[in-house]
Amino acid sequence: MKAVDIERLYSVISDVLNIPIEDISEESSVNTVESWSSLTHINLVVSIEAEFKVNFTPEDTMDMLSVKLISIILEDLL
Amino acid sequence: MLKTTPPLFDETPADYARISREITKSKYSKNVNIAFLSSYTAEILKPYIRVELAKSSIFSSVYFAPYNNIEQEIIDNNSGLYASNPDIVVIHIGIEDISQNVLTRFYSYSSDEIKNVTSSIVSRYKEMIRAFRKKSNAQIIIVDFAYIQNESFGFSGSPLAHSLSAYIQNINDQLWSICNQITSCHVIKYQQVFMEQGLNNCIDYKLYFLARIPFGVKAQIEIGKVIARTIAAIYTTPCKCLVLDLDNTLWGGVLGEDGIAGIKLSDDYPGNVYKSFQRTILGLRDQGVLLAIASKNNINDALDVMEKHTDCLIKKKHISSIQINWKDKATNLYKIARELNIGLNSIAFFDDNPVEREWIIEQVPDVRVINVPENPMFYSRALLNSRLFDKVNMTSEDTSRAEMYKHEKRRSEFHIKSKSVDDFLRGLKMSAKIGLVEDITLSRVEQLINKTNQYNLTCRRYTAEEIKDIISSGGVAIWISVKDKFGDSGIVGTAIAKKQNNNEWIIDTFLLSCRVIGRKLESILLYYLCKLVKGKKGVILYGEYIPTSKNNLINDFFIKFNFNEVINKENYWSCNLRETNISPSDFINVEFIE
Repeated sequence: MKAVDIERLYSVISDVLNIPIEDISEESSVNTVESWSSLTHINLVVSIEAEFKVNFTPEDTMDMLSVKLISIILEDLL
Repeated sequence: MLKTTPPLFDETPADYARISREITKSKYSKNVNIAFLSSYTAEILKPYIRVELAKSSIFSSVYFAPYNNIEQEIIDNNSGLYASNPDIVVIHIGIEDISQNVLTRFYSYSSDEIKNVTSSIVSRYKEMIRAFRKKSNAQIIIVDFAYIQNESFGFSGSPLAHSLSAYIQNINDQLWSICNQITSCHVIKYQQVFMEQGLNNCIDYKLYFLARIPFGVKAQIEIGKVIARTIAAIYTTPCKCLVLDLDNTLWGGVLGEDGIAGIKLSDDYPGNVYKSFQRTILGLRDQGVLLAIASKNNINDALDVMEKHTDCLIKKKHISSIQINWKDKATNLYKIARELNIGLNSIAFFDDNPVEREWIIEQVPDVRVINVPENPMFYSRALLNSRLFDKVNMTSEDTSRAEMYKHEKRRSEFHIKSKSVDDFLRGLKMSAKIGLVEDITLSRVEQLINKTNQYNLTCRRYTAEEIKDIISSGGVAIWISVKDKFGDSGIVGTAIAKKQNNNEWIIDTFLLSCRVIGRKLESILLYYLCKLVKGKKGVILYGEYIPTSKNNLINDFFIKFNFNEVINKENYWSCNLRETNISPSDFINVEFIE
């Protein structure tokens, strides 16, 4: 288990969801980010997998609905 | 969970997402509307298709029909499909979405039942494609079938007569033949993507079960690439000619330094790397790509390698234009384009030297310069991945050598049509010398007199002594030599006139080497012969054509030069030197050697 490189993570989220990095926080979620749809969620998941060289389970994937949750789940895999 | 090795990306999916958004229409001259009909959630492919198309300078908008609404969209005139005004329609139905049961329970089916399933799938496509074609002229791209879930039957399946893979192949065979019959209908071979990437790298069960996406991110990128590549090939004319360097490209090492025995070209490492690259190149040639060489080398040494080195597979005969010299390569590329009658933008340039590549990019920006990797092991991949030779329909008439021969034929026809013979001859930049036969030229003239058969009016044979006698008894004997842009041909013709009586002379001998027939040298030779005879106070010049089995070529010689037929004497002609207007061809520089 390693600390998540927040800068890298936020950069991926910014790229995929098309939001400025400075607008991203732990609280950002499916409910607060308009561009976070079911489709971009899949994009986000595969993009994080590719960036951090990890594989999420379907359960992880369904749970990762906020930046905070993403960080927690990702941290477990690093 | 299936654990896969994390793939390596040139661009990450996040990069694709960002770059896709940054692609702005105004920067692209080509704009393509794509409609995607699929049995799965294909939206995920959008950034990959758009970015990969942008790499081929094409801006694209992609419409995704709701999944599994293929026939509905095609039949309904008011569907999103038609509203999107597509230039390209991609149809991708997964075999697992059509006949999941057949895939997983294959051996519970009889072969008759399998046949029925096959024909129902095939007729579904036939109707679908035809229905669409009636309504739209858009290009159709069909992604064919592959079984991309892990083989459920282990190894036992394959030897059986009605194996699963044979079943899928059979459907594909029929599908391909349908697509061949429909205009502008292309096929993407789905299996190929998974073969190249490895099935295990392509599967992501999570995506399939959560989102109905049949493949993982690595395969998404690859499918995006293959779709983009197919679309780009529809809109791009493939390069007609591949221009190659020699040293460290067709062989390892530098010929000028290492010599023919020292260059790396063999069946063992590292020579086999270059030999293998040569095979790839010949494979392109088989598909109709013309080959040319632009290399800074001594031409004779280089041709020696091509003709004599047993491991040099690319021979002179494979090359349509050879520019081996010490001139700069931009000049040579212009020359190749001119010689082959092709545009600079039809030329791909492959050179290991980055300085040469840079030079060409600067000097001849239209030429497509291939980004050559440092390691020669990756030359072939770089060449084929350049996409410059992609053709959408590698079928029937487009295939293999036929295309090339057609091309070459067209070129030679063009040659004849576009230029008058005089223009062509002018292009040879010929210059000729004329001189009186003297001791120094006598032996060559004797040789010509005794062996020239075709362009020889009388075929009289003389020894050197006899020629000398003719000259010393007042006859006129001259020779002609010629050189052109290809080199110096030396003395290629001779003519002798003898005085008969008073002011009457006769052309005793008039001949040209067969190497220079058709170059209009005869007018020069005759002009100077007349001039010299006139200088000796000759007025009437007779000409004689003595037919042999080989000199039929020039039976109209005297007619061409407006001689008058002498009555009662067959093949006997005359001309009044005071009236004649024989003039030498204006495009040949002539120098008379006193």
